[in-house]
Amino acid sequence: MLRFSKHETTFNEITKNMNISIPDRSEYLKTLAQSGQKIMGVLPALYPRELLWAFDIHATEIWDPPGEILHANAHLQTTICPIVKKSLEFILKEPDIINAGYLFPHTCDSLQNLGTQVKDLIGVSLPVYTFYNPKGSFNKMTTKYYRDILQNYQLTLETIYGPLNPEKLLAACVLSHKIDSYLLAIQQARMTDHLAMNNLDYFKLMRAQEYLLPSDYLSLLEQVDILDQPSESPRARLMVSGILPPTSEILRFLDELGVGIVADDLLAGSRRIPKFPMDTPVSPLDYLTDRFFVLPPCSTRGGDLDERLHHLSKLMDASQAQGMLFDMIKFCEPELFDHRLLVKTLREKNIPVLTLETELDSHISGQDKTRIEAFTEILFEMASA
Amino acid sequence: MSIRAELKYKIMKDYGAPALMVLQDFKRRKPRPIPEAFGPPLESNKRLKEILSRHYFLSRYTPGVKKVAWVTSGAPVELLRAFDFYTIYPENHSALVGAKKQGADYCGIAEGSGFSQDLCSYARIDLGHMLSGKTPAGKLPKPDLLFCSNNICQTVLYWYKAIAHELNIPLIHFDAPFVTTEQTEADINYMAQQLQDMIPILERVSGRIFYLNIFEDILKRSMETSKTWGAILDAMKAQPAPMTIFDAFGHLAPIVSLRGLPVAQDYYHFLMDEIDTRVTQGIGAISDERYRLIWDNIAIWYKVRFLATFFAERKMNFVTATYTNAWAETTGYLDVKNPWTSMAKTYGQIILNNNLKHRLDLMKKMIKTYSVDGMVMHSTRSCKPYSVGQFDLRKTITADLDLPAVILDADIADERVWSEQQIHTRLEAFCETLEGSKHG
Amino acid sequence: MADLYFAGVDVGSLSTDVSIIDHSGKVLSEIVIPTGVNGSEAAEEAFGSALNLADLTREGITAITATGYGRASVAFATGKTTEISCHGVGAHQLFPRTGTVIDIGGQDSKVIQIDSHGRMLDFTMNDKCAAGTGRFLEVMANRLELDLDELSSPLNIKGESAPISSTCTVFAESEVISLLAKNTPREEIVHGLQRSIVNRIWSMVTSIGVEGEVTLTGGVAHNKGLVALLEEKLGLTLNIPENPQTVGALGGAHIARRAYQSNLESPTN
Ligand SMILES: Nc1ncnc2c1ncn2[C@@H]1O[C@H](COP(=O)(O)OP(=O)(O)OP(=O)(O)O)[C@@H](O)[C@H]1O
Ligand code: SF4
Ligand code: SF4
Ligand SMILES: [Mg+2]
Repeated sequence: MLRFSKHETTFNEITKNMNISIPDRSEYLKTLAQSGQKIMGVLPALYPRELLWAFDIHATEIWDPPGEILHANAHLQTTICPIVKKSLEFILKEPDIINAGYLFPHTCDSLQNLGTQVKDLIGVSLPVYTFYNPKGSFNKMTTKYYRDILQNYQLTLETIYGPLNPEKLLAACVLSHKIDSYLLAIQQARMTDHLAMNNLDYFKLMRAQEYLLPSDYLSLLEQVDILDQPSESPRARLMVSGILPPTSEILRFLDELGVGIVADDLLAGSRRIPKFPMDTPVSPLDYLTDRFFVLPPCSTRGGDLDERLHHLSKLMDASQAQGMLFDMIKFCEPELFDHRLLVKTLREKNIPVLTLETELDSHISGQDKTRIEAFTEILFEMASA
Repeated sequence: MSIRAELKYKIMKDYGAPALMVLQDFKRRKPRPIPEAFGPPLESNKRLKEILSRHYFLSRYTPGVKKVAWVTSGAPVELLRAFDFYTIYPENHSALVGAKKQGADYCGIAEGSGFSQDLCSYARIDLGHMLSGKTPAGKLPKPDLLFCSNNICQTVLYWYKAIAHELNIPLIHFDAPFVTTEQTEADINYMAQQLQDMIPILERVSGRIFYLNIFEDILKRSMETSKTWGAILDAMKAQPAPMTIFDAFGHLAPIVSLRGLPVAQDYYHFLMDEIDTRVTQGIGAISDERYRLIWDNIAIWYKVRFLATFFAERKMNFVTATYTNAWAETTGYLDVKNPWTSMAKTYGQIILNNNLKHRLDLMKKMIKTYSVDGMVMHSTRSCKPYSVGQFDLRKTITADLDLPAVILDADIADERVWSEQQIHTRLEAFCETLEGSKHG
Repeated sequence: MADLYFAGVDVGSLSTDVSIIDHSGKVLSEIVIPTGVNGSEAAEEAFGSALNLADLTREGITAITATGYGRASVAFATGKTTEISCHGVGAHQLFPRTGTVIDIGGQDSKVIQIDSHGRMLDFTMNDKCAAGTGRFLEVMANRLELDLDELSSPLNIKGESAPISSTCTVFAESEVISLLAKNTPREEIVHGLQRSIVNRIWSMVTSIGVEGEVTLTGGVAHNKGLVALLEEKLGLTLNIPENPQTVGALGGAHIARRAYQSNLESPTN
């Protein structure tokens, strides 16, 4: 077992009186840090969280910390994506809730440079780690290389935290596997209307994995009610693609309009859950390697475009989505390159598409409201025709 | 392969292209007057133009004779040369479009077809070219193969994937892990293995067999050419410097796009001779060199002349740049006896694939050895790997070396990203600081 | 049912427009007034004037669709629809063979694709930046000390145009300043500005494609020079409504009419 149980009391206290309610991110992390938990701040997107867990390190993810961007502007140009800027703003504050260091997985050019910028030029008091994710189309050789990277990362951690306990790593993999299985089931339920949850709550639940201890997250997932009978279908069914789920205001607006997001192709969502259920882990490093290679296609890994198209169309079919919402982060190159082909292909199939461009402001502009409403007018018209 | 096509290609190569070039020369308008601030122009300029026009011109006779590959500037092209591919460098072509101030046109085509305005303009221009067939080079052949490496950016991978999909042609990608501290053995093995695994694919696409000895010759030639290029850049340490970095932006083209071919090798010997002579005779690129500058990042192609004149008139000369240096920096790792691992080291550690500590140290060293008085950084909207981190590089360098510096916000090839007034003000202020610091 | 009347109220960022039609679709009155700072007051005022003009009372109107960016502030409306759908329907009513609608308003420009029934199939909209909208022209007119009429005089489209390469309003304004400093004739600058908007619109049009006839709506359709350039760039003749600013309101009125009629037919009602 992982030694995280001592924090469960805190978690239970927070959730005791609520049916299934999700603890507030910063409160939760504050309590955790105060209890002496080692916490590593991890930037987007893919990294072997299980290895960190095995060293009793909690990985909390940094995507879009709230607050104004001020200090980061002295370090980054205006044409850099808001995720990179917001993350840097957060790191510059050197918040107490991060005490074990920062991990920069290799995701895109901007994050690649931000990692070395923070480590080699700006300098922070905590250690900065990096993790390379292979790019392009994969084969046997990539598998071997990925395994080497895992091993090297383990060695790095061992030099600081002492030898790895193999049993802990196995336990972490088993836990991760359980979480994956739940998430797959919940996704499936979402696609077929077996989940009575609005957009806002659904994505809150998805995003809770960014900061909850794995054991806490698992107990949250266990409480999710999967219906025996399908509930009423939303007025319009939408799939969303991009990096992060739409902002809460947009989700709320869609809820008001009666539009349900029934499937997602989000980097912070389904793109980091295996495409299909995996066997229970036996040998940790093999398991972690396999897991990386059965993740759905993603722009940031630069895989084959046909594969991506195929995957998306499978998701759309399974969820009976009528349209696609591309929620694009401004200046995000990996997404914006693929975007054109995805839109073109969907249009050719007469599937309505809407593209929003977001800088992750919590406020939704009048223009975007008009866009979303006009788009739902198309979807409703389609549904009634 | 058709004999007729081959014959035609040969004839064009030996007679047609030179003849056409004479004609073009004849047609060309009178050259612009050289402002007084500049020294005598390089003789090599003419030769360079010939080589490049000829390269683009000949490409239209390749169908049926040679397979055509589109290649990224950082890709290990030596391997392709072993299969006699005709190589086109889209980045070079986009720079050409940018220099002709047509970038916005080409970008517009790509944007109209759905590519975002926020993407690298080299990519947008190239995609605009691919979608429309437009090119200032007359006509370019369609590629049979795409060859890219993310050792310069991930962008090229996304971009080449888009082309591969649109044209339905094979793409070979060379995955070069970013160097955060130093290359690991796993990194090197991974890259070396990838290179070897490319051979059967290249054999299939080209219809030619791989011969190690041919490959070794190419590698040797490539190494030698890079060395000469490095020596040319080294010669800019002389005071006054025999050429400006703006010249070097142009003379860079063969080392990028014709590397490994005899024509590039010969060309740099020719250029080296001329540079040497200039150094011995004390001839400078600008008539009165009082200040020496370093340039960071890729050129602003649509404003090269403007910038060159602006600085020359103020007796300022750019004597070194991280950009031009990139094709000389790591070739020292090449080793004919260990082709695969040495290529992994060479191509894996180029400046844009290396951490910012490395870049900082390199820049500091260049500033010292080239006796640099000031630094101009081009922060380019297009290029994240070259631009993210520049603000802190500037801060550290100005603090540690007490060096005046200025950052220009612009773009490599999309002329819409240019604010004349803003840039002018910044440049004037920079020059004032520089003049004050040297004489104050 | 001779006594049924329908209205559309389009509260745009710059103008508030009302159109009243009867059950057959015949237009009885149309009004355009500036929106000013208070959208709901402008809606009241414009609606009142339109009623007067049509000689009708408020109670005489069966259904009212509010549209435009201030659609939520029209208290007396019976329904609301985005101006994107409304411009599609309005353009379809005026020019039934319309497949593509270009609406260039004060703060937004939109390209809308509609089917043969006027139903919206797809649309695209300018990004946050004001370049490519009426607002852009107004800022520049201000700079050039020209009024809107002078800015929209018909042009010799083959005439010289000053290069305005920036797509950003702020950058473009600084380009205009330096052109003025270089004594570039104002006509050439105006020409350059119009070209810059046209390029912007053109890339939006190409991004969703042209189907059928193309109808231009919104206040910028009054700008003759720009219309000529846009026609040249697209290589086709545009349908220009007599009153381009009220097309959205007209569409709104028709949507109100349709909704009312289909409610009548629907057995559940
Ligand atoms: N007579 C005219 N000549 C030239 N241009 C005009 C004229 N009248 C209006 N315009 C232009 O039309 C624009 C306003 O158009 P319109 O009334 O369609 O906007 P709106 O509907 O209020 O805006 P939006 O739809 O963006 O909210 C003005 O910015 C102006 O540039
Ligand atoms: S949003 Fe895009 S550009 Fe920004 S960090 Fe994520 S992948 Fe990189
Ligand atoms: S300019 Fe930068 S982003 Fe564009 S291709 Fe070159 S290295 Fe890549
Ligand atoms: Mg309007």
